[in-house]
Amino acid sequence: MNGLWKAAIATTALIAVALTGCASGGSDDTADDVRELVVGAADPVPDLTPGRQSNVYGLMMSVFSPLTFIDVEGELEYVAAESVESDDKVTWTITLRPDWTFHDGTPVTAQDYVDSWNAVALGTNAFANSGQLASIVGYTDLNPAEGEPTTDEMSGLQVVDDHVFTVTLTHADSQFPVQLSQAQTAFYPMPQSAFDDLAAYGKKPIGNGPLALTTEWVEGEPLVAERFDDYKGTESTVDKITWVPYSDRLTAYTDALAGNLDLSAVPATRALQVSSDFDEENIYSFSAPGMNFLGIPYWDDRFSDIRVRQAISMAIDRDAINEAIYGGLNKPATAWTPAVMPGNPDGVCGKYCEYDPDAAAALLQEAGGFDGELTIHFPGGAGHEDLFNAIANSLRQNLGIEAVARPSVGWAEFGEARNTQTLDGPFFSRWGALYPSQQSTLRAMFSSAPVCKNCGGALSPDVDAALTQADLTGGEDGTAYGQVQKILAQNFPIVPLFDESYNYVTSDRIEKLTASGVGEPILTEIVLTDD
Amino acid sequence: MWRFLARRLLELVVVFIGVTFVIYCAVFLLPGDPIEALGGDRPLPESVQQQLREQYGLDQPIWQQYVNYLGGLFQGDLGTTFTGQSVSEQMANRWPTTITLALTAWVLTVLISVVLGLVAGLRQGSAIDRSVLLGTIIAESVPVFVMGITAQYVFGIMLKWTPIAGIGDGWPRAFILPALIIAIYGLAGVSRLMRGSVIDTMQSDFVRTLRAKGLARRSIVGLHVTRNAAAPVVNVLAIQLGSLLGGTVVIEAIFNINGVGQLLYKAIQDQEGTLVVGVATTLVLIFLITNVVVDVISSLLDPRIRND
Repeated sequence: MNGLWKAAIATTALIAVALTGCASGGSDDTADDVRELVVGAADPVPDLTPGRQSNVYGLMMSVFSPLTFIDVEGELEYVAAESVESDDKVTWTITLRPDWTFHDGTPVTAQDYVDSWNAVALGTNAFANSGQLASIVGYTDLNPAEGEPTTDEMSGLQVVDDHVFTVTLTHADSQFPVQLSQAQTAFYPMPQSAFDDLAAYGKKPIGNGPLALTTEWVEGEPLVAERFDDYKGTESTVDKITWVPYSDRLTAYTDALAGNLDLSAVPATRALQVSSDFDEENIYSFSAPGMNFLGIPYWDDRFSDIRVRQAISMAIDRDAINEAIYGGLNKPATAWTPAVMPGNPDGVCGKYCEYDPDAAAALLQEAGGFDGELTIHFPGGAGHEDLFNAIANSLRQNLGIEAVARPSVGWAEFGEARNTQTLDGPFFSRWGALYPSQQSTLRAMFSSAPVCKNCGGALSPDVDAALTQADLTGGEDGTAYGQVQKILAQNFPIVPLFDESYNYVTSDRIEKLTASGVGEPILTEIVLTDD
Repeated sequence: MWRFLARRLLELVVVFIGVTFVIYCAVFLLPGDPIEALGGDRPLPESVQQQLREQYGLDQPIWQQYVNYLGGLFQGDLGTTFTGQSVSEQMANRWPTTITLALTAWVLTVLISVVLGLVAGLRQGSAIDRSVLLGTIIAESVPVFVMGITAQYVFGIMLKWTPIAGIGDGWPRAFILPALIIAIYGLAGVSRLMRGSVIDTMQSDFVRTLRAKGLARRSIVGLHVTRNAAAPVVNVLAIQLGSLLGGTVVIEAIFNINGVGQLLYKAIQDQEGTLVVGVATTLVLIFLITNVVVDVISSLLDPRIRND
């Protein structure tokens, strides 16, 4: 019997040793002299070419510098460009700052920009971000509807000299300088060495930004970038950043809680808990140019009466849902684009975006009520369950409609059903703008050639005309787009829900985190505690 | 013996072709279009989608796609993902991690459940016996992600004994906690089996003889009972090694371990057909091969099995 107990104790001891014995070899990454940060990142798409990446914006904005930059106030600044000018808003002249170099030492020239944009736009390259260049003349030649492209250069791009080139657009667009800003990575320049082997370039892109990558992308391994000494723009406040990829955002958050990360995004499932997990000064909530909506199946007659759509909107208690699900971090929508957009017509939705269950029920009654069950569709597994269940509850309680929320298996199923108009009820709809202009959201969702098919509800020719007018007359202040939203308010095609926020937690090493105009923190401007 | 082995290997080939075809069809019959879904809520331009479909042969009928896939397979080419990564490279990067994790979990299952089973079996009906049963069943009924996240908080954040995410700290530090959690889910079954086996063995004739000979209880248990009682348990444990490899999906996600489980999960989510088929087929193969090996080992241990 004693032998047995010894065996049991020995096993336990063995495990305990394995657990604690190695603990001494733990983290030692807090060197005093190097100003270094370790941040959590999404698992990157396995190609970091700026024309292809879609989820490592923080890294992109550190390794590359955009032509223009929109700050948190919505003001436009010039970074790699000295100026972006046009007389007619069709042909734009971009003048680069002189003496800028890529991390490999070669000068950044107008030719590099033109070559890079052509490579991103070329249909046969199949780069994910190529759509950002779609309004340049010649884009369609590189992306023909049938067959192979006959050219690999967009005719709308002309090099004037080493530092000047012109861009001709298919139609007048006042927002072009805004489109060149930080998150539209398709507009980033690549050095000539990239074009020899784009696949190799994508593993370790050479940029023109304040930090230069020192490691190559390897599946599941951290990426490291260090200060680029010859950078001509605003110097980085940190010397070195390590991006640790996490396939689950919750794990990154937990790792930040354990003190292993200096910066991590807060996953939606922790929005309510974050204030008890972290000190207040280590939590940051940035307004983002993203917004979600309740899409309306305009192919279903039951929703054709505007009063039905307005009643649904008024029956949703956005404030209560915001508190209960997002910990108050998001913002109830009052317009069809997020409030962070320059010149946003806040409140244009009026009383129809305010919670009023009695008025909602009366309005629905007036419209003749609602027949049958109402199923709200949303993509499953993306953290939207609570939101759409809450909305279904509101509609049941306040309007007496038999409403249920139904998740799809994943994006693929949901996307196809929406594109083919087979959804039989209201649905998840969202646009995350990559440049802070109302134009982005309005164009992507409500124009007659939307990027997001069927997202914005029935199309109205008025919207198209008003959008074109605003593109022509508008300025960077964005007020011209208010007119488009007035038309949306009159037609009420879909129900605005929430302006999104991007939320972050930091370690005590970070004194201050500043946001840019797209809701992402500016990593190279982080103020460290020991400053 | 050789005929036995040849037959099992032939079965392997048949199962292999059947499994790849069924999985291939299953993935491609899933609702929705994987290329459309690549961009999530920011859809890719039409021309880009068209190009990708052509590139990956998605515009061809499914039988043609499967034939192409098999053709590549016989040339040792497992295909590429929709983002252009080689499937074989992906698996080569991740199998070592998952195998390390599964083996660690397996060794923990063996150690803990054999000890628990012995203790419970030797003290049949005692408080210890009952608490072993109750404890293992309670542990097994906790959902795996609850157990995982709680363990992260307790051992990673409060006690700071183990890392929470990734395998940067290497073996064993980074593997011990996830492996322990995986192991817990095998404890109830295996320790019960061991307990039963111990009770049977303790009542068998040869043990009575040994006792009659006046051999010390310590030697009886340590030398004779443990070895004999372990025989049936070995079978189960070996089969469990196969299922452990497939059972790491949730744990790998919670602990951010870049293993095959996570690869498979993401591949199914993104409808990456070639990747799903590649990973799933390797899993099935490992399971089948483990079974063959178990059969061979059992037949070596117990000549009676060989006689068929």
